[in-house]
Amino acid sequence: MLFLSACNDILVEQPRATYEPGFFTTKEGVQSGLTSMYAHLRYIYGQGYYYNITLTGTDEYTWANSADGNFKDADMTSGGTMTPSTSRADVLWNAAFPNINTASGVIENAEAVGLAPSLIAEARFFRAFDYFQLVQTFGGVPLDLGGGVMKFNKSTVRTSVRNTVPEVYTIGIFPDLKQAITDLPETPRIVGAATKTVARLYLAKAYLTYAWWLQNPNNIPTYPETARTDPDGHDAAWYFQQAYDVAAEAITNPGSAGLQSTYYKVHLAQNDRNNEVLLLADHTNASEQYNGGISFSYGNGEAPDNFACWMVTPQMENIRSGKKSDGSDVISSVQREAAQWGGRPWTRMAPPQGVFTKTFADKTNDSRFDGTFTSVYRGNWTKNSGLSSITTLYNANNLPVSPGDAILSFLPDETLTSTLSYTSGKSNIGAGVVAGRADYVIPPSGINRQYFPGLWKIGTYRTDNGSGLGTPNGSTCRPFVIAKFSELFLVAAEAAVKGATTKAITGTYANDGTARGLVNVLRARAGKWSFSNAENKAKVEDHSAEMIAATPATIDINYILAERSREFFGEGYRWFDLVRTQKWEEIAGTYEIADTGTHTPKTFTRVINKAVHYLRPIPQAQIDRLDMSDDEKKAYQNPGY
Amino acid sequence: MKLTTLKKQLAVISFLILIPVWALGQTITVRGTVTDDQGETLLGVSVKEIGTTNGATTNNNGKYEIKVKGNASLVFSYVGYKNKTVPVSNQQILNVEMEPDVLGLEEVVVVGYGTQRKEAVTGSVASIKGDIMREIPSTNMSQALQGRIAGVEMSQTSSKPGAEMQIRIRGTRSLTASNDPLVVLDGIPFAGNISDINPNDIKSIDILKDASATAIYGSRGANGVLLVTTNKGIAGQQARVTYNGYYGTSQVFSKIDMMDGEQFAAMRAFANMSAYKTNTADEIEGTNTDWQDLFYKTGKIQSHDVSVAGGTERGSYTFGVGYYKNEGVVPLEGYSRISLRGSLDQEVGKIFRIGFTTNSNYNVTEAASSGGLYQVLQNTPLINPYNADGTWKRTVDMPADKGVWVYTRDVVEAKRDLMLSQTKGFGSYNSVYGEVKVPGVEGLKYRVNVGLNFRMSTGGAYTGPGINATSETNPSAASVSNSLRTNWAIENLLTYDRTFADKHQVNAVAMYSAEETMYNRSRMTAKGVAENFQWYNLGMTDGERSILPGDQQYEKSGLLSYMGRVMYSYDSRYMISATLRADGSSRLAPGHQWHTYPAVSIGWNVKKESFMQDVNWLDNLKMRVGYGETSNQAVAPYATLGGLSTRPYNFGDAPANFVTGTYVSTLPNTKLGWEFSTTWNYGFDFSLLKNRLYGTFEYYVTNTKDLLLSVNLPQTSGVGSFMANVGETQNKGFELSLNAVILDNLNGWNWTAGVNLYTNQNKIVSLASGNLKDEGNAWFVGSSINSIYAPKKIGLWQEGDPFMNILEPGGNAGMIKIEYLGEYYKEGDNIPKDRQVGDPVRAMDGGGKDRQVIELDPDFQGGFNTTLGYKGIDLTVIGAFKSGGTLISSLYSANGYLNMLSGRRGNVDVDYWTPENTDAKYPKPGGMMSSDNPKYGNTLALFDASYMKIRTITLGYNFKLRAVKDLGIQNLRLYASVQNPFVLFAPYTNETGMDPETNSYGDENMASASGLANRRILTVGTNSPSTRNYLVGLSITF
Repeated sequence: MLFLSACNDILVEQPRATYEPGFFTTKEGVQSGLTSMYAHLRYIYGQGYYYNITLTGTDEYTWANSADGNFKDADMTSGGTMTPSTSRADVLWNAAFPNINTASGVIENAEAVGLAPSLIAEARFFRAFDYFQLVQTFGGVPLDLGGGVMKFNKSTVRTSVRNTVPEVYTIGIFPDLKQAITDLPETPRIVGAATKTVARLYLAKAYLTYAWWLQNPNNIPTYPETARTDPDGHDAAWYFQQAYDVAAEAITNPGSAGLQSTYYKVHLAQNDRNNEVLLLADHTNASEQYNGGISFSYGNGEAPDNFACWMVTPQMENIRSGKKSDGSDVISSVQREAAQWGGRPWTRMAPPQGVFTKTFADKTNDSRFDGTFTSVYRGNWTKNSGLSSITTLYNANNLPVSPGDAILSFLPDETLTSTLSYTSGKSNIGAGVVAGRADYVIPPSGINRQYFPGLWKIGTYRTDNGSGLGTPNGSTCRPFVIAKFSELFLVAAEAAVKGATTKAITGTYANDGTARGLVNVLRARAGKWSFSNAENKAKVEDHSAEMIAATPATIDINYILAERSREFFGEGYRWFDLVRTQKWEEIAGTYEIADTGTHTPKTFTRVINKAVHYLRPIPQAQIDRLDMSDDEKKAYQNPGY
Repeated sequence: MKLTTLKKQLAVISFLILIPVWALGQTITVRGTVTDDQGETLLGVSVKEIGTTNGATTNNNGKYEIKVKGNASLVFSYVGYKNKTVPVSNQQILNVEMEPDVLGLEEVVVVGYGTQRKEAVTGSVASIKGDIMREIPSTNMSQALQGRIAGVEMSQTSSKPGAEMQIRIRGTRSLTASNDPLVVLDGIPFAGNISDINPNDIKSIDILKDASATAIYGSRGANGVLLVTTNKGIAGQQARVTYNGYYGTSQVFSKIDMMDGEQFAAMRAFANMSAYKTNTADEIEGTNTDWQDLFYKTGKIQSHDVSVAGGTERGSYTFGVGYYKNEGVVPLEGYSRISLRGSLDQEVGKIFRIGFTTNSNYNVTEAASSGGLYQVLQNTPLINPYNADGTWKRTVDMPADKGVWVYTRDVVEAKRDLMLSQTKGFGSYNSVYGEVKVPGVEGLKYRVNVGLNFRMSTGGAYTGPGINATSETNPSAASVSNSLRTNWAIENLLTYDRTFADKHQVNAVAMYSAEETMYNRSRMTAKGVAENFQWYNLGMTDGERSILPGDQQYEKSGLLSYMGRVMYSYDSRYMISATLRADGSSRLAPGHQWHTYPAVSIGWNVKKESFMQDVNWLDNLKMRVGYGETSNQAVAPYATLGGLSTRPYNFGDAPANFVTGTYVSTLPNTKLGWEFSTTWNYGFDFSLLKNRLYGTFEYYVTNTKDLLLSVNLPQTSGVGSFMANVGETQNKGFELSLNAVILDNLNGWNWTAGVNLYTNQNKIVSLASGNLKDEGNAWFVGSSINSIYAPKKIGLWQEGDPFMNILEPGGNAGMIKIEYLGEYYKEGDNIPKDRQVGDPVRAMDGGGKDRQVIELDPDFQGGFNTTLGYKGIDLTVIGAFKSGGTLISSLYSANGYLNMLSGRRGNVDVDYWTPENTDAKYPKPGGMMSSDNPKYGNTLALFDASYMKIRTITLGYNFKLRAVKDLGIQNLRLYASVQNPFVLFAPYTNETGMDPETNSYGDENMASASGLANRRILTVGTNSPSTRNYLVGLSITF
C-alpha cells in the first residue's frame, strides 16, 4: 500500500540511453540524420565484395588465385553464375533504402526545425545518388517505401512495388538533383560534404545514362517492362544534350573543385581529400571509433571498413631472397606492410593481361599507369625487427640487394621475354630471371592469377607505422574515393560523342568543348609527371604534348571507354560504364591471363547473357522478407534469376 | 499449510467445556526415543504439542523430553518421514517409530504464494529436494537439474567455467521474446544470474510447468516457474552445523579430432591448391605438432560450504558461507564464488511473525581477453612452434595466413597480466516479510513481502602491446565495463486458510503486487594503456579513448499485478484450484498494457473413493486436469517506441569533425500488446505394489498466440524491423516419471531407480500476415521453431553421375551433392536444344531454391538415476539421453573454417573423397569451393543428435558408527564422483569422439559467424572443451 502512489508511474517508459524515432523531428535529429547519410557511403564504398561486383567480370578485373564464389560468380567465367543469393549487389540494396528513407525524413522534417536549404539539399543529393546507383544496378526500383512516393516511411508494410526505370529517373533522381544544384554551396561546408559541382556531376551522369537507356542501341531488355519513352516527353538526344550542358557548366564553374597538377597526386595517400575528389567515403586512422569501429590491428573484411584494396593485392610476401651469397637460407624479402604499395593480400581479383598491353599500352608518356599500379616491389625486410640487422640479401642471379632495392619488377613490355628464364629462379613465386639483373621480373605476358601488379592508387596507408611494417591486417583507414572532378570531362565528351552540340568551355579548364578537346585536358595532365612509383623517386617531366598528339582525331565511344579505364582504373566504375554503353560482351567477353603457377597466357570466355545479366538480381533476402505470393515474388525478381 | 482440522478444534472446545479448569493445569513430563524403520535413532525430530507452540527436538541419541498436558497429542515430524500423531494419554514414556514417506504425500509443495500438500496439488508441479539435486555436484542448479525432471530441458550454451544453461520448460513458445522461465527465490522473483544461487543453499526446487500452476505468476510465468527455497532452521531445533565440500580435477573429455601432421600433409598435397600447397618457412614436412596438447591443462574444482541452522522456542535461523572455485582446462579460464546466506523467522507476540532471507555472493569470472580455441586449432600440425633455441616463436606463417600469434598454454600463462579479461560480480538478493493473523477471523492472515535485489558487475580486459597481433608494436587495448541492476518488489497478500467440518479445506489468496527493475551498463575502452595499468586507469594514455553509444545501456521496466486464487479440497478427494490474475506491463504500448487471465485445475484422488478400497495393488491414484492462460511480456523495454541506430563518421582527419549520425532502424508499434499462451494439462499420479512403483504421467497442449516478434522488413521499406504481435505456435508433449524401489532392505541391500522421459512437439501455427514462411529466420508454418533452412547433403557426386554438368556446372566428382528441388523437363516443355526430356531445368542453387527445412528437435529425451546401497555404502549413477533430432557442429561446417579441405589451415580429421575412396562422407579436398570452403560446406555440420550420457557416478559411504555419534557427529559421508565419464549410442561421438552436448549459440565460436543457424539454435563450436571431472567429497553434520 505504501508504494501505491509510485505505482502509477511504473508503467510509464522513459528511455535514457537510446533515441526513439521522435528524435528525428528535432533539429539535432535531422542534423544527425544528415551525418548518417555520409556514413552510409562506407557501407557501400570500400566494401570489398561490392567493389568486386563493380569490377570483376569486366576488362579491368577477373578472379584471382584466392577468389571464392563471390568473385567467380561475378566474373562469369569458370562456371560461376550470378544468383539472387550470391550476387553481392545486395550490399548496395541493403544500404541504399534505409538511407533513402532517412533522406526523405530529413527533407520532410527539415523545414519545421529550421534547417537551411543548403543542408536539405545534401539530403536531396543523397536520395538521388542512391536511386541512381540502384536504377543502374537493378533496373526499376520502388519509389514508395510504404509512406507514399518519395515520402518518409513509418509504416510496417511488407510488400513492395517496383517502379519503372523512367519513373525512377524522372521522379526519383532528376528533380532532387536539380534542386540540390540550386541549393548546395560551391565549397563544401565540411571536409567531404556535397557541393554544387558533385550534384552537377551526378545529374550529368544520370542524364547521360538515361539517354543511353532511351536509345538502347543493343536492344537490352529492361525491367519492370516498360516502353522506352520518357514521361517528360523528351528523347535520347535531348538528354545527351542536357548531360553535356550540365557537365560543361560544372567544368566552367568548378567552385573549389579542380584538377590536381599531376595524376600521381590525385591518389597519393598523403594528399587524400584533395580538390579533385568530389565525393568520398571517409576513413581515418586518428580514431578507431569514428573510422567505423573496425579494429586497426585486424579487420575481418566487413563494412563499414574500407577493405577494397585487399582484394586486388597480390601475395608478394611469398618472394624469397637468400641470406647467404649462394642464395640459400631464404627469408621473405618483401614483407606485408601497411604502405600504399603493399597492404593485406587477399588476392581475390587480378587484372587481365589486356590491362597492360592495351589499356595502358603507353607507360612512358602517360603517367597514369605509374600512378595506378605498383609495378616494382622493393625489399623492406629490415622493417621487421627480427631481420633489421640483415643489410644484404641475395636475390636473382644471387646478386646482392639492399633494403629499398627492387626485388620483383613487372616489366612494361615483352622486350626481355626472349632472354628471361622462369625456371632458374629461386624466387619461390616462379618469377623470371634476366642475366645481370638482381631483381626478378615478370613481363605482361607472364602475369597470372596470383602475381600481378597491385593497385597502388587505393592502397592502404597509416601515419603510425614508425620505422616498422605497421598493421597491414587492420583497417585501411584511407577514404574511398567515389567521384572525381575529372569525370566531368569524360561525361561531357561521351555526350558529345553521342551527338550533343558542343560549345567552347571557358575558365581554368578552357578548351574547345569537343570530345577531343575535353579528353585532351585529362590527357595533357596525364602527361605531367612529378614522381615515379616504379623508380621510387621524384620524376618531373612533361609529356603533355606527346599525349595530345596521340589522341585520335575522331573520338568514338570505345575510345571514351578506354580513356575512362585509364583515368578511373580500379575505382569501381567499369561495370556501370560497360552496362550503360551496352558494350559489356564486346569489350570484356574474353580476356587473357595465365593460370596460377604458369606464365602462359590463356584466353577465357565469359558467359554474359544480354537478356539477363545487364541487371543484377534482386537480393534473395528482399524476396524472402516480402509478404507476397510466390507469383508476385517471381514477378518482383529480374527475369532470368 | 495448517493441518489442523475443525474436528480437532471442536475437540479442544469440548474439552474446554467439559473438563474442569484445574484439570488443564496438570502437566506431565513425557520422554522417549524416536527411531526410523530400521531401528536407528533419529536426531532433530520435531516434537510438537498439537494446537500450541510448545515443542522439542530429539538429541544425538534420538531422545526427547517435553512437558505437556496429560491429554495432549504430540506430532512427530521429520524430513522424509510421514508425520506421526500420538495421543499422550498420560503416558510418561512414549517411544515412536517413524515411517518413511516414499511418495512425499505429506510433504508440502511450494506452489507460489503458499504451499500445498503434495496430495492436493492439481496443477503440474515437479519437485526436487536439494540433496537429490546435489547428487550432481555443480556450479549452479541449472547444471545439476539437467536430465532430472521430465519436461525441463537444460541445454548447455557455453562450456566455460561458471557458464549457465538455457532452461526450457516444455519447449519453446516464443519466437523472439524470452523463453526463459521465471525463477522465484524464497518467494520473490529473482532478478539475478542463476549461478548467483549457491546450490548448497537450496532446500528444494519446485517447478511449475502448466498454466494452471503458473497463472499466479501471470505474465512472469508463461515459460514456467522455478521456485527455489533455501534452507531454513526449524523452530525448537538444536543448532546444527554442517560442512559440505569436494575437490576434484577436470580433464578434456576429448580433444577435437584434428588431422595429424602426416594426414594433413597428405590432404594438402592431394588438394593441390596453388595458394596453400607450399609449406612456409615455419612448416616442415614430418612435423606433427598437436596444438591442443600444447594448449589444454588440467582443471581444478573445489567447493566448501559451512552452515549452521537452529531454532529458538519461537523462531529459527540459519546462516551459511560457501566457497566455490573452478579453474578451467583452457588457460586463464576460471570462475570462483563466495556466497553468504542467512535467514531468520520469528514470532512476535501472539499474532505477528517476521522474517528475512538474504543471499549474497561475490564472484569472479576470468578468461583470456583475446583469442581462443579457434586460434589454436587453425594452426597446421606441420608448424614447428619453437625457435632453434627451444623458445616459442612469437608468430608463425601459414601459406595464406602470415604472422599468426602462437597461442599456447605456456605463452598465455606467462602473459596472464597482459591478456586477462576479468568480471567481478556482486549480487545480493533479499526478502523481508511481516505477517499478521487478523484477529477475530480464524485462518485469515495478512502478509507483506518486500524483495530488494541488487546485482553489480565490473569487468576489465587488457590486451597488451603486440599480444595476439602480427605486429609487435600493435598498441594495447583496455576496456572497463560496469553494470548495475536493481529490482524491488512488494507483494501484499491476504490469505484465508481454514478447514470446515473436517472435510472442506479452503485456501484463498488475494494479492496486489508491484515491481520495478532498472538496469544500467556503461563501458569504455582505451588504446595504448601501459602494461602496469591494465584496465585500472584508462585515462593514462594519449591513445584513443572511446565510449561507444551502443555500449551504454539503460532500461527500466515495471509490472503491476492483482491476483486471486482459491484452492478447495473436499475430503482430500476432490480438489479444485482457480486463479485470476491481471498484469500491467510498462514494456507494452499504452492502451495495451493490461491483460487478465484465468486458470483452473481440478483433481480427483480416485483411490480415496470407497469403490477403490479393495484394489490392493494400487496405493494411490490421482487424476488431474488443468486449463490456464498465461502471457508473456518479455520484450526489451522501449520495444514499442521504435529506435534509431547510430553511425559514427569522420569528416576528414580532424577530431573536431568526428560526429555521430543516426537513422531510424526500428519502427514504433503503438499497438504492441501481450503474447499469450493457453495450456491444457492432463495428468495422473499413481503408486502401486505397496509404493514400490510410483510415478506421474502428463500430457499437455500449449497454444501461444500474438507472438511478440521482431519482424524483419524488406529492405525496400527503408527500416530494418519492428516489434509486433504476430503468429501462433503450439507445443504439445507427454512426460513420464517413474520411480521404483527394486530392493527394499533385502539383507541390507537397497536398490532404487528412476527414469523420466518426455517429448515436446513444437510447431509454428501461423506467422505474420498469413505468411507461410519467413526464410530469413527459418520459420515455417507447420515446422518447429528449432529449424534451419539450408540445402541438404545427400551424398557426394561420383564420376559418371547423371546431370552433374547441368546441376553443378564446373563441378567435380567428390564434391558435395545436395538435394535438387527443382523441376525436370517434361514432354511439351519448351526444351532448349542442348537439353532433353528428363534433364533438370536449372543448376543447383544452394543459397536459394534448393534450401529446405531441417527440423532439429529430438523425438524424445529424458534422464535416469539409480542408487544401489548396502549398509552404509551407496552407488549412484545418473544419466541423460536424447533420441533423434539434429546436432549442428560448426567444427565440421564451412563457417567453422576447420574443414576447408584445402590445406590452408588446420583441418578436422575427416574421411574425405579420393578416387580410391569414393564412398567417403566428406568431399574431395581442393574440389569446388565457395568462400574458402567446399561448396555447400555447411551441410557437413549436421549430425544425428542422439546420445545417452552418464553424467555422474558416485560411490559414497555413510558412517553410522557409534564412535562417530559419540563425537557428536550426526552424519558423516565420504564420496567419490566421476562426472561425464562416458557417452553411449551417440553417432556424433562415434564419429568424432566428442561430447555431443551443445556449447555455443548459433552465431558463436566459429570463424565466420554468419550463415547456418540463427543465434537461438544451440551448436557445438570452438568453445572451451567439455571436461571429465573426478571429485572426492565430504559432508559432515554436527
